Amino acid sequence: MIRSRNPIKQGLNIIIVGCGKVGATLIEQLSREGHDITIIDKNAGKIQEITNLYDIMGLVGNGASYSVQMDAGIEETDLIIAVTESDELNLLCCTVAKQVANCAAIARVRNPDYSKEANYLQEKLGLAMIINPELEAAKEIARILYLPTALEVNSFAHGQAELIKFKIPEGSALDGITISYFGKNLSSNVLICAIEREDQVYIPDGDFLLLHGDVISFVCSKKNAKVFLEDMGFKTTQVKNTMIIGGSRAAYYLAVQLLHMGISVKIIESSRERCEELSVLLPKAIIINGDGTDEELLKEEDIEYTESFVPLTGIDEENILLTLHARQVSNAKVITKINRINFKNVISHLDLGSVVYPRYITSEAIIAYVRAKKDSMNSNIETLYHMFDHRVEAIEFRVDETSEVTDTPLKDLSLKKHLLICFINRNGSILIPSGQDCIQVGDTVMLVTTHSGFNDIQDILR
Amino acid sequence: MNNSIVRFILGHVLLIEAAFLLLPCLIAAIYGENEGLWYLLTAALCGLLGFLMILRKPKNNIFYLKEGCVATALSWIFLSFFGALPFLFSGEIPSFTDALFETISGFTTTGASILSDVEALSHCSLFWRSFTHWIGGMGVLVFLLAIIPLSGGSNINLMRAESPGPSVGKLVPKVKYTARILYLIYLGMTIVEILLLLIGKMPLFDALTISFGTAGTGGFSIKNDSMMSYSPYLQWVVTIFMILFGINFNAYYLILYKNIKKAFGMEEVRCYIAIILVAIGIIFFHILPMSSGTFDALTKSAFQVGSIITTTGYATADFDLWPQTCRTVLVLLMFIGACAGSTGGGIKVSRIVVLMKSVIKELNSYIHPKSIKKINLDKKPIEHEVVRSINVFFITFMLLFSTSVLIVSFEGQDLVTTFTAVIAAFNNIGPGLAKVGPTQNFGFLTPLTKYVLMFDMLAGRLELFPLLILFHPAIWKDLLTQKMGRKSRNKSS
Repeated sequence: MIRSRNPIKQGLNIIIVGCGKVGATLIEQLSREGHDITIIDKNAGKIQEITNLYDIMGLVGNGASYSVQMDAGIEETDLIIAVTESDELNLLCCTVAKQVANCAAIARVRNPDYSKEANYLQEKLGLAMIINPELEAAKEIARILYLPTALEVNSFAHGQAELIKFKIPEGSALDGITISYFGKNLSSNVLICAIEREDQVYIPDGDFLLLHGDVISFVCSKKNAKVFLEDMGFKTTQVKNTMIIGGSRAAYYLAVQLLHMGISVKIIESSRERCEELSVLLPKAIIINGDGTDEELLKEEDIEYTESFVPLTGIDEENILLTLHARQVSNAKVITKINRINFKNVISHLDLGSVVYPRYITSEAIIAYVRAKKDSMNSNIETLYHMFDHRVEAIEFRVDETSEVTDTPLKDLSLKKHLLICFINRNGSILIPSGQDCIQVGDTVMLVTTHSGFNDIQDILR
Repeated sequence: MNNSIVRFILGHVLLIEAAFLLLPCLIAAIYGENEGLWYLLTAALCGLLGFLMILRKPKNNIFYLKEGCVATALSWIFLSFFGALPFLFSGEIPSFTDALFETISGFTTTGASILSDVEALSHCSLFWRSFTHWIGGMGVLVFLLAIIPLSGGSNINLMRAESPGPSVGKLVPKVKYTARILYLIYLGMTIVEILLLLIGKMPLFDALTISFGTAGTGGFSIKNDSMMSYSPYLQWVVTIFMILFGINFNAYYLILYKNIKKAFGMEEVRCYIAIILVAIGIIFFHILPMSSGTFDALTKSAFQVGSIITTTGYATADFDLWPQTCRTVLVLLMFIGACAGSTGGGIKVSRIVVLMKSVIKELNSYIHPKSIKKINLDKKPIEHEVVRSINVFFITFMLLFSTSVLIVSFEGQDLVTTFTAVIAAFNNIGPGLAKVGPTQNFGFLTPLTKYVLMFDMLAGRLELFPLLILFHPAIWKDLLTQKMGRKSRNKSS
């Protein structure tokens, strides 16, 4: 649970407008962190459903209306998050709220028309953050396609460092060695920070024995990642082409990223109108008008020879089936996007390979912001990722002031159990720390832990 | 069904009751009464049992409306059972049925007594009787939610099952703080009343017990003649506070934290005040000839109306002797009851308002068959689901009511006694008319009738469905099969 500094008031007052997929995820995660949440939605049934599940207050109405916001207590609110279907409504919600109260505002803006101007909008409207789940998902997919061996790639320290997750294959050099042997003999600038084996997650110590079948996460600086994986005998070249099923917004964002990386893109979309739009927006991509779930069409478009395959239809079931099909007929790297969370346990047993959950990506960014806002005396959360079904948190703190943890060798700090300091980023260079290293003011420090709710770098101490 | 969470909650309820039972021990110590020992014994028993029940933490904390209702209904039954034990042990109420009746009447804030001589009771028992009103008024589970951190968001279901009113909402995002705010308002108002009564030179013990009875809209008095012997000042203080405790507590929250205008704009509160004023007016003019002066008539009519509509049940006059019109008005007030979200019982003013509006809507639909109109309350449309549940509530209320009247009629009493005894129990009022009138008691009834009335009191307090769901076969199956499952698992391990 959250360590309460002030027992009377534990959390922030947060208003969430719209309880769709992202809204519901935010409610789930923020209410677990102990904040006082009020939700606004036009649909009374949805409100009823969600207030039965979580300890929050519901209000039926239009979240952009002044009187509804007043009813929701906007004056005492610390943060408003607008995640309705409509970008315009979200922006209006935040604009109205900013006029009424002194609160921070976060809006979801997904339309590519605005996404190019996100920074301008954010600055001019005084928003704390503009979130775009589709864009973030596309970025994450692009990172994986850049390094196809990985199951997941998360970036830290403004892209300087990466947290990479992959599965140890049979007969690998990593199979059957201990962590300390790995550190001494194989690679010293890579740190293995979490291991999942048979549904259990371990933060390893030196005696931990790696086995094939383990899913490991390791941290290293961006330039070392490829070198390390090559040493371990993995293929590290980025894919040359990709096939995307469904021409959604996420597909557009992904195509833009991939084309920029020099990967050729083929999009299969069933709506002719959308195909024409896409062909204008993405002149370099191949746009195919047809049903992406048609086996014959996929064969015709060479699914067997494609190097990567990304189903991005709006329907999770279709995406999963396409993934399973692609894994059967080809050797392509497959990345599945899943929108809903229902039946997550079933999904995790399907062995889909890389799975991307857009709603988690955005909610992680918001939670990092909220935690940093809550009470950060001398440090700030820069980045936050949930790994292995929320069982492990990877957090990057920026250390702004001197405190107990600074300027003391790490071996002399009494750190909590199940916690590992992965790297220290000092002036842009990534340092994998040893016991002699100290945390200094101005560093960013990244750590993984099975504890949750860290707000401050001092939380690492016992 | 998640039985373990139900058990866990029941355990906590018993622990809280154990703590409450220590209060009469304190009173006994002050007055040097031996009966206090029995309260101490019961408290120890409750504490031990409660402790054993919470020893094993539930596997998961999630509970749905079903679990909320079952936990609430069982909590109230457990509370009443253990609350009755001291009366029985000390021999002040020798029969178990009577002791249980008295306690249920206390917790459900009914105030119907089986005692013919209240003044013969020890101070600690009198205190306990009145204190059960105070706990029962706001609800023991609301108290539980205010002090015990139950993680998981679904605990609103507990509050929903216990709190009166068609749609129970929160004041602030968290259940815990909502429950705390409610109890703080409740406690604050009780203290103000105690102080005002003390200013009127009421003895401290009387002020405490009378205030508990008023706050919970209960009605147990510590005198045989209820409130008749107190001065007009004290009677007016009690009148005003009875009416105040019958108002939706959301109004007080609005006054305290937000805007007063909105609080006075609440449609339910306005209707409630209007009904009270009209009723006082009618009764005032009818009893004017038989009272000693205008002020006396006003005091008496206001007190009785306030006492009946809020379902408190104190009396300063034997209204059974009043003209027929007055008796009829009072019986009608018994059905209406107080506001939703208050400590009072009855059908609730907001339900009556919605039912009336439904009737008007139905009439309009005869004139314009294709017209579409939503029923509004406080200028906001009410969801169809809420209107439907109010209709079903009313039908169920009437069904249970007539069944109870039928069973009680086997007693062979006259119609007015039978009818008003059931009304008084069902709406948690206390005194009825004729043989169960304000100067009489329920002691002469047969055990069968008493059990029917006990059921009515609980059903009325919990607003029917949380109690009725206990009789659903599916719930029985759940409770029994899971228990067997656990047993067999224990055996195998």
